[in-house]
Amino acid sequence: MLLVNGLCCRLFNAFLLSLICLGSNAQAGERHLTIAGVEMPLKVVFRAIKKQTGFSVMYNTAITGINQDEKVTVDFKATPLNEVLTHLFKGKSLEWTYNDDVIIIYKKEERLPVKSYGDSTVTPLLLTGRVTDANGGALSGVTIQVRGTEQGTVTDANGRFELAKVPNGELLVISSVGFETRYLTVSGRSLLVQLNMQVSALDETVVIAYGTTTKRMLVGNISTVKGDDIARQPVNNPLFALQGRVPGMFITQTSGVPGGDVKVQIQGQNSITNGNDPLYVVDGVPFPAQLVRLGSLTQGVNGGSPLRLINPADIASIDILKDADATAIYGSRAANGAVLITTKKGMVGGLKWNINLLHGWSEVARKVKMLDTRQYLDMRYEAYKNDGIDWTEPSRAADDLKVWDTTRYTDWQEALIGNAAQYTNVNVSVSGGSPTSQYIIGGTWHREGTVLPGDFDDNKASVHFSLSGTSYNRKFSIQLSGNYMLDRNSLPGFDATPTAIRLEPNAPSIYNSDMTLNWAPDQSGRSTWDNPLAEYTLQKNKNNVNNLISNMLVGFKPTEEIEIRCSAGYINTQTTNVLTVPLAAVRPEERPFAFRSADYGNNSFNSWIIEPQILYKKSIGKGQFDGLIGGSIQQTSDNSSITTGIGHSNDLLLEDIKAATSLSVRSSSSLYKYNALFGRLNYNWDSRYIVNVTARRDGSSRFGPKNRFHNFGSIGFAWIFSEYDFVKRKLNMVSFGKLRGSYGITGNDQIGDYGYLSTYFPTYADIPYQGAAGLSVGSLPNPYLQWEKTRKWQMGLDLGFFKDRLLLNATYANNRSSNQIIEYGLPTIAGYSSIARNFPATVQNSSWEFTVGTVNLKRRLEWTSSINLTIPRNKLIAFPGIEESSYANTLIIGQPLGIIRRPHFLGLDPKTGLYQIADSHGDPTSRPVYPDDFTALINTLPKFYGGMQNNLSYKGIQVNFLFQFVKQRGLKSLYYSAGRFGPGRFARGQSNQPATVLDRWQKEGDKQPIQRYSTTSLSPGFATGSDAGYADASFMRLKTLSASWDLPDKWLQKIHLQNCSFYVQGQNLLTITGYKGLDPENQSIETLPPLRTITVGINTIF
Amino acid sequence: MDMKIIYNFCHCSLIVGVLFAVFAFESCTKLVEVDVPTDRIVDRNVYTNDETAIAVLNGIYINMSQPGTFTGTRSISLFAGLSADELALYDGIGGVHLNYYQNELSVTDGTGSEHWTPLYSYVFKCNAAIEGLQSATSLNPAVRQQLLGEAKFLRAFQYFYLVTMFGDVPIVLSTDYSVNERLARSPKEVVFKQIIADLEEAKSLLSTNYLDRSLQPYTGETERVRPTRWAAAALLARAYLYKGDYANAETQADLVINNAAMYDLTPINDVFLKNSLEAIWQLQPVTFGHNTEDGFVFVLPDSGPGIDENKGFYISNELLNNFEMGDQRKETGNWINNVTVDGITYYYPYKYKISELDAPVSEYLMVLRLGELYLIRAEARAQLNNISGAQGDLNRIRTRAGLPNINAIDKVSLLSAILHERQVELFTEWGHRWLDLKRTGNVDKVMSIVTPLKANGNIWRSFQQWYPLPFSDIQKGPNLVQNAGY
Repeated sequence: MLLVNGLCCRLFNAFLLSLICLGSNAQAGERHLTIAGVEMPLKVVFRAIKKQTGFSVMYNTAITGINQDEKVTVDFKATPLNEVLTHLFKGKSLEWTYNDDVIIIYKKEERLPVKSYGDSTVTPLLLTGRVTDANGGALSGVTIQVRGTEQGTVTDANGRFELAKVPNGELLVISSVGFETRYLTVSGRSLLVQLNMQVSALDETVVIAYGTTTKRMLVGNISTVKGDDIARQPVNNPLFALQGRVPGMFITQTSGVPGGDVKVQIQGQNSITNGNDPLYVVDGVPFPAQLVRLGSLTQGVNGGSPLRLINPADIASIDILKDADATAIYGSRAANGAVLITTKKGMVGGLKWNINLLHGWSEVARKVKMLDTRQYLDMRYEAYKNDGIDWTEPSRAADDLKVWDTTRYTDWQEALIGNAAQYTNVNVSVSGGSPTSQYIIGGTWHREGTVLPGDFDDNKASVHFSLSGTSYNRKFSIQLSGNYMLDRNSLPGFDATPTAIRLEPNAPSIYNSDMTLNWAPDQSGRSTWDNPLAEYTLQKNKNNVNNLISNMLVGFKPTEEIEIRCSAGYINTQTTNVLTVPLAAVRPEERPFAFRSADYGNNSFNSWIIEPQILYKKSIGKGQFDGLIGGSIQQTSDNSSITTGIGHSNDLLLEDIKAATSLSVRSSSSLYKYNALFGRLNYNWDSRYIVNVTARRDGSSRFGPKNRFHNFGSIGFAWIFSEYDFVKRKLNMVSFGKLRGSYGITGNDQIGDYGYLSTYFPTYADIPYQGAAGLSVGSLPNPYLQWEKTRKWQMGLDLGFFKDRLLLNATYANNRSSNQIIEYGLPTIAGYSSIARNFPATVQNSSWEFTVGTVNLKRRLEWTSSINLTIPRNKLIAFPGIEESSYANTLIIGQPLGIIRRPHFLGLDPKTGLYQIADSHGDPTSRPVYPDDFTALINTLPKFYGGMQNNLSYKGIQVNFLFQFVKQRGLKSLYYSAGRFGPGRFARGQSNQPATVLDRWQKEGDKQPIQRYSTTSLSPGFATGSDAGYADASFMRLKTLSASWDLPDKWLQKIHLQNCSFYVQGQNLLTITGYKGLDPENQSIETLPPLRTITVGINTIF
Repeated sequence: MDMKIIYNFCHCSLIVGVLFAVFAFESCTKLVEVDVPTDRIVDRNVYTNDETAIAVLNGIYINMSQPGTFTGTRSISLFAGLSADELALYDGIGGVHLNYYQNELSVTDGTGSEHWTPLYSYVFKCNAAIEGLQSATSLNPAVRQQLLGEAKFLRAFQYFYLVTMFGDVPIVLSTDYSVNERLARSPKEVVFKQIIADLEEAKSLLSTNYLDRSLQPYTGETERVRPTRWAAAALLARAYLYKGDYANAETQADLVINNAAMYDLTPINDVFLKNSLEAIWQLQPVTFGHNTEDGFVFVLPDSGPGIDENKGFYISNELLNNFEMGDQRKETGNWINNVTVDGITYYYPYKYKISELDAPVSEYLMVLRLGELYLIRAEARAQLNNISGAQGDLNRIRTRAGLPNINAIDKVSLLSAILHERQVELFTEWGHRWLDLKRTGNVDKVMSIVTPLKANGNIWRSFQQWYPLPFSDIQKGPNLVQNAGY
């Protein structure tokens, strides 16, 4: 680490010098100043300099002897700054330098001197201190300024500084080029300040498995997203904040309902079925990727992604580990990459309050154009005419024409999913600490409404804390952190989107005149529709989750070289749900045949992990050796039960389980044990060559007794060629250059527990058969389950130009999975549609990942950009015996995994007005034969994707925006029909059609794209079942935009705040796409699309 | 080399050595051992104990009695009834019921194969039970024998519906997925051979008495809810009839009919009561507050058929008009009831009369009954030119329905009369009408008239008599081919 520090210092110095050189050039010194006055205090002149040139004048009063109250007489008219200063300091043997926006004044020949404590010039109120970087290395040349005054100084070569006459309670601004500015309140006489480096993006901390490093020294392929970027987005799940930011990571939001599901793939689709989830690790504790679904209770939206139980505001950074070097130490669980979430920790400094209030609105960003009442009715009449049916016959139940008011029109998208959902977030945190102990405690309340009509919301309250302490001799350390969230969710368990799209435009009004639900009964009392609100508003769906994630890290350093530490984590997720079906939600005429019912579910998920580790550090030769060995013991238990109660006497008693007259219970429980030994050896020679070797031996209870253990490992190297003199001298625009590569084997055990056992489950019956219990065989057992192996190799090149103002990164990754554990598809004649087994095929995911980071402007207007692009390619490499396998007809060697085979669509037969499909010879047929006629191959995996981010800041105004782009083919969810029935048919609640169906065949010879209307054509059939069912679903989206304005310092001072900013944030603001449906991301009219959210907020720090 | 570097190198190797030594150490086995799960039971513990072994078969009966393939809104009785000419669908009900009704099953929307997967799932359960019971050593031999008989009987029962609905089907006889995933379809004759073999074996294994929950003969009221030797014989008679082996069909039917101590025809409104004398095998309802699921589906409310798929089916004009004058079965409140709405009268099946919730359970779902056995024997006898014997059997059924004796005297007209009698006797039970039309070769003749009526001018195509296999099974089963036409 010393070497690293040394390097950083050197780099920093080089950087600082270069800036000083830049600053000392004619430009700065020749800025003009105009001021005139007699017996004017010096500080007034300094203020004028600041105002007119932007430069603050900074000096150490004790050393320079400058007295800001000294009276001077000046008369300058557009005089260059250098001349002004020469005049002001005549005879004082002072010199100055321009540093960014500061003029530093120091004593001639005694540059940045150190004062000894015994010096007679020290005043009683002398403040002394030292500034270091994050690793404890001294930082010289850091400016320290008492805010609101010109009083200030800079640190010496040891990072030390002194400031005289600083009263307690003053605010110090500690800043240095390339470091994040810090604000500290003076209390006491000495200060130890750590600055986080900002010198280059290369020196940002990167969290790796069981440790940290910097981008510069990183061997593996890891992307980091900072808490700041997450905080700038109004998202309820931190995963959404990663969309478009991480090369190699493809995230799909499958539903816009709060807490809905998210699909995450890192470096491609490894597995043909499930098990593509990465490993999530929160503060060192593995976190489940999927929540257990509680039977009917989670059929709606509440299964969702468990990551929604982590408050985005508490996250300091998210690191995405992709290659073998980064992930192999997680062994069996990291074949799909790993996502490390680090929560915020306290920092050294005085007590700091941070209050963030935010309110906003979410809505469906795009509606689709459906038929209005006139068009709808015309379609229906035409369909009957085409079919030769007289719809007025009594046996024709054309309620839409006979019973309903044909003059009514309702825009159901507006009525059912058109609300603006309220979005509120309040976050308060307190942090601070001394060099030996730091703390942060924060609380958040988050409320999200719904776009559905009705008063539902999702309320989350969470507490986050982190405490850390170190002994004075730095031998012992302890860190404790915890996150606790209460989620009270009453959102309906149903998604109104399909109803909003398909409900007939002349369907009845939702309420009767007396505000009761309208069932639109016909003469005989039969309901003619299913009132959509019966389902959404009368059925109560209450979902409560309490989630605790806690972690403790204890460390002991017997010597400088050895550290022994132990991390222990515990996760507890308690879920309870109630879903009620009141009689009022049932059609009135069916109530005599229906019971009231309610489902009561509860789930308890517990997981603990203990990981003892020994770290060893030693300088060997010109290099630094780092070793780590550790062990991991984990146990996870999952218990759930769902009780169905029926026969309650009243709708109001449904939430009370004891009011049910009959109860039935289903339950499940499972236990998962896991242990591992792991180690890592890292050798860094002279910051030029780095070799990294990791190994892990894993044992998992998910496998049969013979296959429980397996070894994984990787080797990685990095060559930092920019450290060579040759490069430094001859290619001086190249400020950084690194070549890296890695190879290794990781695995995956994302299968259910007990998959190797043949088991029987109790068969539940309300009334036992003959009064006796029943048992049912559970699943297909597979005692031969083995570990999966994913072999990963990759090469990468990192380049920095122009003192790292331009950073380029290119990575080629090639991952091959063999012996994958998947839910292997079976024809159902085998009794089940799948079995957990090792997949005999080899699947290759190769990808090119590029990122470009630039500092475009670094003046008063700062402008940085970053662009990332991923070009993935998925290919089935080998599959011995494919012809005899259940994938003979679905997979093709050499093609991507999960390719879709469809017959080719020929369009309309102008004679009959019916859709036509091509057979294998290209001739029209109405009934294509599988698999021969299924000749079109459709690949829905993305062709490329990425994002473009820009950050602009000017005088306290900051604007950040991110465009996300994806090139892909997807499901055409709304073109040939609304997806269920062909145009012209009436099926209650499902008959409306997109306006595109107006372009239909009407008479022989017509060449319109849409089939003739008919009341009987059952479905669009092969039109959607053919390749015509897929279309380009590429899009470019203004994923996030945030703008903030910081109050000027002057104002802040008056109201005694460190910072106060107002901001506006937006998510999913604008989508540019040729896609026809609701949204190209989730490609569905069955689920709510990702919502557009706009929020306004205020953030205060004091 | 510098001594220091060598020293450091040694130091380094030491650590590497320690690392690998630790890795080689395998003492952590204990840490990944899990106890047997608490919410399920491992198979080796199932077939060692009479009670759990019985529970396996009970599990199958429970599933069969729950809404699904055998009863309820998606049952064989309902779908096959819609496919044939006995049920009408309320205009406005869409979805899968319409597809069956209009004989317009489609591989793309997955209609037509609803029963394939459940039936094979039952086959798997039977195979697992057979394998478990065959290797069981500590069960009471009588229990083991009865259960083995039940499992074989049930397997034959499942295959009967597979082969009659889908035609050639793969014969799955083990739980080994690696074999099963590669199976091809076997010709219908081979499937029937397997059915008959299973039933013959079941017949020799099953008890002659109805057994209680502990597989002991009943001491009190007898429930006819477990298969017996008579159930095996009854299904065997049917299988032989379908196969065209009339002599054997007659022999098996004789066995049951001659057991007068246990079986007799009852008055028509008593047939479907629980433990009725006509019942050879019934399924006990298992859903809270319900009698049979069939009653729940077919009995219409006063508001008539509605948009709910629970209550959207009624008797077609084709069936209604086929009842002879004076047929008691058609009389209101017997096996058919009606409701008039907006001037339209809807006739609905009323074999099961209870659809109210919470009514005391007095009806069980009839699976095999004596009435069918008479018709089987009548047909077998007619085929064997035993005209008077056939007439006698047919007249037993007609007499009960209040109809005069049959006057058909030749084989052809007698067979036609039997087909008609089966239509009006067995309607909405287990798809008999649909299967009869197919096996007697009348399906094209009848359906080419009926389909256009049901489907607004659609034409009947002969391949539609076989339901399609699920598309995903065609995709995943390398040796499975789709029925022609789909």
